[in-house]
Order: sequence, then C-alpha cells, then structure tokens
Amino acid sequence: MQRLKVLASLALALLFTAGTAVAQVNTGSANFTRYVAFGDSLTAGFNSGSLVRTFQNNSYPVLIFRQATGRTTGFEQPLVSEPGIPGILTLQSIVPRVVIAASGGQGQPVNLNLPRPYDNIAVPGARLHDLLATTSGGLHDLILRGLGFTQLQQGLSLQPTFATLWIGNNDVLAAATSGIAIEGVTLTPAAQFDAEYRQAAAAIASVGAKMAVANIPDVTSIPFVTTVSRFLTLPTGQTVTLVGPNGPLQAGDFVLLSASADIGAGRGIPGVGPPLADSQVLSAAEVAAIQDHINHYNATISAVANERGAALVDANALLRQLATTGVNIGGVTYRSSFLTGGVFSYDGVHPTAFGYAFIANQFIDAINAKFGGDIPPVDLFPFVFGTNKAAKAAGGDLGFVFTDGARRSLLQSLGVPKWIVDGQPAPGKPHRPRRGAKG
Amino acid sequence: MQRRGSFVGRAMVFVALVALAAGPIHAAGFSIFEQGTKAMGMAGAFTAQADDPSALFHNAGGLAFVTDRQFSVGTTWIHGTKAEFDGDAPFPGPGNHAEQKKLSEFPPHAYFVHPISSVWKFGLGIETPFGLVTEWEKPDQFSGRFLSTKASLQVIDLNPTLGWQITPNFGLGFGAIGRFSKVELNRNIPFNNPFTQSIIDIGRLKLESDFDTGYGWNVGLLHKVNNSFSWGLAYRSKVKVDYEGQARVNRVPTGNPQLDALLGAQVPFDKDLPVKTEIEFPDEASLGLAFALTANLLLETDVNWTGWSSFDQVPITFTGGPGNALPSQTLPERWDDVYNYRAGLRWTASPTSQWRFGYVFDETPQPEEGVSPLLPDADRNGVTLGYGHTGGIGYDVALMYLDFKERSRHRSFPGEGPFFGTYNTQAILLGLTVNF
Repeated sequence: MQRLKVLASLALALLFTAGTAVAQVNTGSANFTRYVAFGDSLTAGFNSGSLVRTFQNNSYPVLIFRQATGRTTGFEQPLVSEPGIPGILTLQSIVPRVVIAASGGQGQPVNLNLPRPYDNIAVPGARLHDLLATTSGGLHDLILRGLGFTQLQQGLSLQPTFATLWIGNNDVLAAATSGIAIEGVTLTPAAQFDAEYRQAAAAIASVGAKMAVANIPDVTSIPFVTTVSRFLTLPTGQTVTLVGPNGPLQAGDFVLLSASADIGAGRGIPGVGPPLADSQVLSAAEVAAIQDHINHYNATISAVANERGAALVDANALLRQLATTGVNIGGVTYRSSFLTGGVFSYDGVHPTAFGYAFIANQFIDAINAKFGGDIPPVDLFPFVFGTNKAAKAAGGDLGFVFTDGARRSLLQSLGVPKWIVDGQPAPGKPHRPRRGAKG
Repeated sequence: MQRRGSFVGRAMVFVALVALAAGPIHAAGFSIFEQGTKAMGMAGAFTAQADDPSALFHNAGGLAFVTDRQFSVGTTWIHGTKAEFDGDAPFPGPGNHAEQKKLSEFPPHAYFVHPISSVWKFGLGIETPFGLVTEWEKPDQFSGRFLSTKASLQVIDLNPTLGWQITPNFGLGFGAIGRFSKVELNRNIPFNNPFTQSIIDIGRLKLESDFDTGYGWNVGLLHKVNNSFSWGLAYRSKVKVDYEGQARVNRVPTGNPQLDALLGAQVPFDKDLPVKTEIEFPDEASLGLAFALTANLLLETDVNWTGWSSFDQVPITFTGGPGNALPSQTLPERWDDVYNYRAGLRWTASPTSQWRFGYVFDETPQPEEGVSPLLPDADRNGVTLGYGHTGGIGYDVALMYLDFKERSRHRSFPGEGPFFGTYNTQAILLGLTVNF
C-alpha cells in the first residue's frame, strides 16, 4: 500500500513536471500570452496563389506561436478548405514544357464562425493603407468578415501582448507583378508609407504589445521577375532578344513569369509575333523606381523598429542571399530559383512550406536576440523532406508555363487593380492623370 | 646477415602494402599518435626516452643512441565502441539519431635501425601518422547524407632518418618524409522535387583520389643529462599533398519519368568526372621531460603542439569542363593549432619486463562551426596500460581507452547552414609491436 502511494505521488509529480515543461519556453521579455500577426499574404501563409489550410497550418505566425508557447492550439486563423481561395496553382508537368495551372473550384472558409477576431488577422493583398483603413473588398471580406473594422482594429481588440508586423510588400509588389509602376497607383509614395507605418506601429505600441517587424524584399529577388530570360533560343539554334513595348529588351529589363504563355505562342519574338505588352515586362527604369521605394520603406521600417524597441527581420537581406549564394541546410542549398530552388511556390512570389518555416526561424532568431529569450527554432526536418501532398505529374499535355488563369488569379489576390489584370487602359485615360495621383 | 637484411626488406614492403590497403583512423583531429606500442603504453609520453626503434617517429634524436641493428613491426587495432549523433533544431531536429559503423582498423608501423658507426646511425620508418574513417550506418536514410556518408583518408609515410651521437649524452636526428596518401569522400546529392516541393536524393557521389605524394622532413634531439633526467625535442614539418582523382554520381531514379528526363539533361550521371583537392597536413612539435623517480620507476611528461591551422579548408575542384563536372566547392574547416598533454609511468619489474601506464588529454583543433558528419572531432581523455618484454624476440603490448568529450554544434560558419546536434564517441585501442 505504502509503495502504491509512493508510486502514485511519483506519477503525479511526473505529470506535473511534464505539464509545466511544455509551457516553459523562455521568451525573455517578450510575452506571448496573446500573440497577433498583422500583415499580408506572406503572413497569411499564402502559397501557390492560394489561401488554403494545408499551408495556413504552417504559416510563419503559427510556427512562431507553437515555438514560443509550446502549444499547438489556441492560435486562430481564417482557414480555408482545399483547394483554397483562389484555387491553388498546381504544377502539371515540367517536361517537355512547364505547365502551371489553377485548380478548378474553390475551397470554403471553415473557421468563419469564430466569435472573435483571428489571431492571424493578415489579409492577402493588403497594403499598408489597407491595414489602417480597409474593412471590405477582396479577401478582406473573408478575414475581416464584414464587421466594419479594419485589420488593425480587429487585431488590437484582442489586446495583444506581442505582435508581428510584416506589411508593405504589396505597396511595391503590384508594380512588379503587373509590370506597371505608377506612383500612387501601384506604388505607395514613400512619404505616405512613412506616415502610415508610424501610425500602425504607434497603435500597436499603445496597447502595450512588444513587436517584431520585417522589412520588404527586393522584387528582383523573386522568381516571378527573374525566371524568364530576355534571350530566347529558337528551335533553329539562333538566340534572339525578346522585344518589348519599347523595342528589344535591354540589360536590366525583366520578363515576367506571366508572359511565358504568350512567348510560347510567339509574342515578343522578333519576326514571329507582336512585342510583349507593357504588363509583361518590368523595365530597368521601373525596377529602379520600385527599388527606390523599397529603400525608403525599409529606412522607415528600420527607424520605427529602433524607436519602438522592436525586433527587426531583414527579409530583404535574406531574399538577396537566396538569390545569390543560396542558403545551406544540412548540405542542401536552397535558392530562389523557380520550381527547383525549394523556397518559392508555384506562383513565383510566395514561399513554399519550407520557405515559411525558414522565415519563422528568422523571426524567432530576431525575437530571441532582441528580447533575450530562448525560443527554440522550428525543426526544419519535416519541411526539408516533406511527406505531404505528393502531387502527381499529369504528363503528356503540352502547354505553356504560367496559364492566363493562373496569372489572373495571382494578380487579383495580390491586390493588382482589375483594369491592369484585364489589360484595360487606366481609368481616367485618355484624360490627363490627376496631379500627384495619390491613392 | 645478408639473409636477415633481405627478410627485413621484404617485411618492410609487406607492412607498406598493408598500410596502403588499410583505411586508417581517428585521433586528435585525424592524427594517429600510436606509432609504437612501447610509447603507447605511456600514452605517447616518449620524447625524452625514445629508446626503441619507434624513436624514428617519436624523436629522431633517439636514433643517435642505437647500438644494435633492430627491426620492429607492429600495429594498433583501433576499435570504435561508440560513435553516435543526436540532432537538434533547426536541422536535422531533435529525435534524429544516427550511428557510425563500428570502426575496426589496423594502422601498422615498422622500423629498421642500424648503427653505421659509433657516431652515425641510420633508420628507416614506415608510419601511419594520419588517417580517418567516418562511415555512417544506413547512409540513404542518414539525415547528414548530403554532407557525408563515408569519408576516409589514408596516409603512409616513408621516413629515412640519420642519427648523430654528438656526445655520449647528446643525440640529434634528421629525417626525410615521403608521404603517400589517398582520400575518399562520399555523399548523396539532393534535389528539390518541384512536384512535391521536398528534397529527394538523385544520386550518390563518390570522390576518390589516386595515391598522391607529398614531402617533408623531421628533426629531433635527445639529451640524457644524467642517470635521473633526460629531455627531448622533436619536430615534424608540414606536408602538403595535392590529390587528383575521379568523382562519379551514381544515379538514383526518382520514380518520376519527367523529373528523370529533366535531371538526365542536367546532371552528369554515371561517368568519371576529373576532380582535384589538397590537404596540408600539420607540423608537430613535442617536448618531453623524463625523471627517474627510483632505480626502477621513470616518469615522463610531454607536451605536443600540432599546427592544425594548416587545415583551413578543403577545396574540391572539378576540372572536367561543361557536361563533365559538378560545381566546385570549398569546405571550410578553419582548425586551430592545439596542444595535448601526456604523462607516462614506466616500472621496470625485472631486467626483461616493464609495466607502463599513461594518461593523455588531447585537445580538439576543430572549431564548433566545423563539427560535421564528415569528421566530428572532440577533446578526448585517454588512459593506457602497457607491458613490454625484452630479450630474444621482444614484444610490447598496450591497451588504451579513449573517451571523447560530448561534442555539440549549434553554430555555423558564415554562409554555412545548420547541421546541429551532439556527437558521442568512444574507442579502445590495442597495440602490439614485435622487436628483433
């Protein structure tokens, strides 16, 4: 009997120890009692042109939450059933041609009745201005649920003790993915960005939350921009320079992934088809304009991080590293190359599951460094050797790289204005553009 | 005498062949200090004694005191009793356990010494001062297989030496080192399967060099101050070996015909790809002090220095040109110069028998960032017990237990990724040398 008692108390003690061990993560001076993630598609866990729970379940905010709290439940997201919204892009074949197409059909929201705002309140397509001002439209309807409150308002109503903020990607991305850089339309003016970013950070700080923020990667480090060469080798063996709206493409000009289908049909090939459209080419001048904006945004983000005592993730440097030397994990070199690099999904803009896990570790490193914690990194093993979703090659069907359906689906979810997606003239044209054209 | 000489010659050739065939081992860094069983019994604290033919390795100054022609031959059985790895996050993650194949190797040594006159002495040594084998079990499942599945380094030195007995108490020795070495590296080749967005194995890469040569020299001095005190100093130079060889990627089918078609057009599978590499072996210096505590009891303490900073990087250069090469790479090593410390006790139980005891602390030259499945090194403590018999055909036997400190890696060189975790290693060494 005595022995039984001892055993029972030992078992209880073990149980107690085990119970506390799970919860005991040293987060330093950061407090993850209530963690809210603000942002755009990257924060939402968007993958291959889709918001879908297969990938939402491994969004970087979920991974940070799990590592920082030791809990696997309690972090709520606007989950969408397969095949996602919009239908996820799939790789149909790679030989003889690469074919990427959107899945037919759409998924359904499966967490729509949560009686409070989502902890991951990020909205794909959101720009910085949307964070502060937008309550509906696009995927806002799915995530903000028509309650009349903005992303920032909903997130702050949860009284977060910790917040991550990665916003501003869409303030330049639309210009890059649509090949049309217009100040105030596809590019947010730097002064506006500065003011609104400070406003967002001040609001988060006002509820007492500590923060980690990430800056904006260079658009010339994503495969959507870098994959298609401006040179093309014809079946005759002759190499030609593709022709854009302003003649043969020059060094520094990029052909967008979305042009590949038309190039396959002869467009842009001198003597074969018409020149590539403006929306299919990112000219050197457009790249310079976009990079200039990114530099200004990142100066703001860095300054605000400094002022607010926030951890800063240098996503710009990380993407540059992926695009140049690559990142080595246990003898595997990850790169930003499309399809084979392992980091970017089929849309050429958003990360793979591995990519998101890697980003989560960048956040965790920055949070640990800033707040003196010891949050364990995400175990990358299952993401490196991922056993999920063995997509089968369809094989046999000839096609083009990035179907028009895939293009439209992606651009719309990135918040590219519909008239650009549809290839219409700008609203207001042929009248003179409004002065300043601030949006 | 002539007959004996030819026997010695043939025996030396035999030992050399055995050494070339054997895949050597594992000791501080990849040096093997066990090059004579008498010295091994005292954990290598032998620089101030150097009173058997293995002086050619331990301190060439000892050769100066040789009075009779002697031949000795032996080997050390190096037996790994444990070599395990446990992973940590972020990669390959906790719960990831792996083991190396149990090491069992027999690096040989052989020495011939011959007094030319009362002052000048000649010696020829065959030694295996470096070597390495790390081979992981279940190589196709091992989480470190893209870094290394098997690595081996074979080294055999030919070491002709001249001894000069300057005074009855003071000897000098000079030697030339001809080093023959071969290196083999194996690992699997990863590829991101675009259909599954996960990493798969597409080939097994084997790089194998020819036996290539390098040259160096060594010098030693031994001063027998009086009956109760002697000291010695020995130095062996750096030796650089430039290797040439072939690499081959044995294809692993992916099971996806489209992927196989893509890879077949991009990767030079199943053909010999010319490759070059180089290793600069470190220089070594030893200082030993020996004290006779009583008529029968001798204590020696040694300090060894090894210039491992020579092992800075391993360049792997594919020279075959387009379609006949893989991307060249450089493995960063960035080792440090290190010391190790040895103490040996020798008890002369009778005129023909000795008992020996020793302890060595061996400091690893490998920085934490460089610890990898290719060569997970660690600080180590060794204890030894030895026995020697002289008269007629003499012999020495010794046993060494070598415990490696647990070694963890949680840092990487700039630009290198994680392969984090903890290595645990133990080994037993058994030495036998026969002298006649």
